[in-house]
Amino acid sequence: MTEWLDDFLLRSIAAGLIMVTIAAPMGCLMVWQRLAFLSDTLGHAAVLGVGLGLMLELLPIFGVLAVALLIVFSLSRVSSFNSALSETTLAIISHTGLAGGILVVGMLPSQTVNLEGILFGDLLATTRGDLLTLLLTTALLLVVLLRHWRAFVALSVSREIAQAEGMAVRKLQFLMYAMIALLVAVMMKVMGVLLIAAMLVIPTTSARLFSRSPEQMVALSACYGIAALAGGISGSYRFDWQTGPAIVVSATALLLLTLAITRIAGARSEGKRVP
Amino acid sequence: MPNELLRVRDLSYSLGGRRVLDRLCFELKPAQITTIIGPNGAGKSTLVNLVTGLITGFEGEIVRRPGLRIGYLPQKVYVNTLMPLSVERLLQLTRSASAGEIDRALAQTEVGDLKQRQVRSLSEGELKRVLLARTTLGKPDLIVLDEPTSGVDVSGEIRMYELIRELRSQLQCAVLLVSHDLHLVMSQTDQVLCLNQHLCCSGRPESVSQHPEYLALFGQQAADSIAIYSHRHDHVHDLAGDHGEPRHD
Repeated sequence: MTEWLDDFLLRSIAAGLIMVTIAAPMGCLMVWQRLAFLSDTLGHAAVLGVGLGLMLELLPIFGVLAVALLIVFSLSRVSSFNSALSETTLAIISHTGLAGGILVVGMLPSQTVNLEGILFGDLLATTRGDLLTLLLTTALLLVVLLRHWRAFVALSVSREIAQAEGMAVRKLQFLMYAMIALLVAVMMKVMGVLLIAAMLVIPTTSARLFSRSPEQMVALSACYGIAALAGGISGSYRFDWQTGPAIVVSATALLLLTLAITRIAGARSEGKRVP
Repeated sequence: MPNELLRVRDLSYSLGGRRVLDRLCFELKPAQITTIIGPNGAGKSTLVNLVTGLITGFEGEIVRRPGLRIGYLPQKVYVNTLMPLSVERLLQLTRSASAGEIDRALAQTEVGDLKQRQVRSLSEGELKRVLLARTTLGKPDLIVLDEPTSGVDVSGEIRMYELIRELRSQLQCAVLLVSHDLHLVMSQTDQVLCLNQHLCCSGRPESVSQHPEYLALFGQQAADSIAIYSHRHDHVHDLAGDHGEPRHD
């Protein structure tokens, strides 16, 4: 029954689909809460996590998770949480994490680590183990999302209203950050640390152009994600492009196409109104 | 506690070593409109946040009637424009409501036609009315409005205060509001709390407007403007001098 798992291409398609399933709702929440840059920061700092993980002979994912959780925990300790997420703070953490990570990786014996795979992802090299980790993490995140969806949406719309109406805003916010840390740790394998944020932001932006409700935006983001995945994997398979970058470029191409279509459609309906 | 919704005794609050509120005492009674006035930095929003329970760590006591339901409209509502969200959905953000309840709430603040609109396409004034409708959904005993007319034009302001009065009589709920618009609000109010860190004076608008501390804060002009508005007409005169129908706009 699991014979299909022997095919590397099917394994990577499955991994990609699982990633899209969780990237769509998480990406929407992050765009709504203006947290896209946080995922980028955690992604960059993940290189340090990978390096430390390998150095301590742990699975890289645990190193990444530890570093990401440490960062979100430190940020949440700062009293005015939102100002802690200022661009400057995040940029410093982001690039220190990346630079420190590359130094640590450089100290390791060269055959133990594929830096390019860390940075840009290695979807076509997805193992059964990777697939299982991705599946379990996604299931966990989806359960939490479903349980707290209304609260997360309320928090995204207006922090003040959510708080005044009795929602535990700080707890929810911290839960959200912890979930982003976990998401970054598992998406790293597929997208590479430098491209995680792209997969959270670009399909979401395309979806926003048409959506009328939060849930619709999530569903459309997933559609755009799947389309980008298809473009990326086929490009990678046929022309030997790197998969992660190919997915991101496909996603952006779809965004531009969507923008063009909405512009033209918008201009047409304008034209109809004016006799 | 007989009758009152909320009783405040010797309420003090300090922020960073500075005393923002100093030994306040007042009560909120059912179906009464209470207005907090005072200069910038008087602690008006802080007081509101204490009453709604948004901030804690005060001295003194705030006693709420058991099971008191509060509807709250914050002063600045940053509503996320990145999220596609209909007005109907905004009303159900933290709790579900039936279609009938939503229609009734929107009709009360005269924005029934906005139900299907996207929140990001609303003007500031429309958004305020939608959010005011939102506060009435949970059948509140007390509606707390922090400067409900900021971002609303002058004719909108007058209508907004009329709406608040109508809400009070329809829902039989108490209203606590913060306002800068002295002359507009005073005539619509049962109780005024004149705040400047301490409670300068409180009571009915007519008595507050003659109080020396009120006059020191806002001047004689403000006192006069209350007199003008307290006998505002509820009918219109046409050119022939006949009385027309009461007008609400």
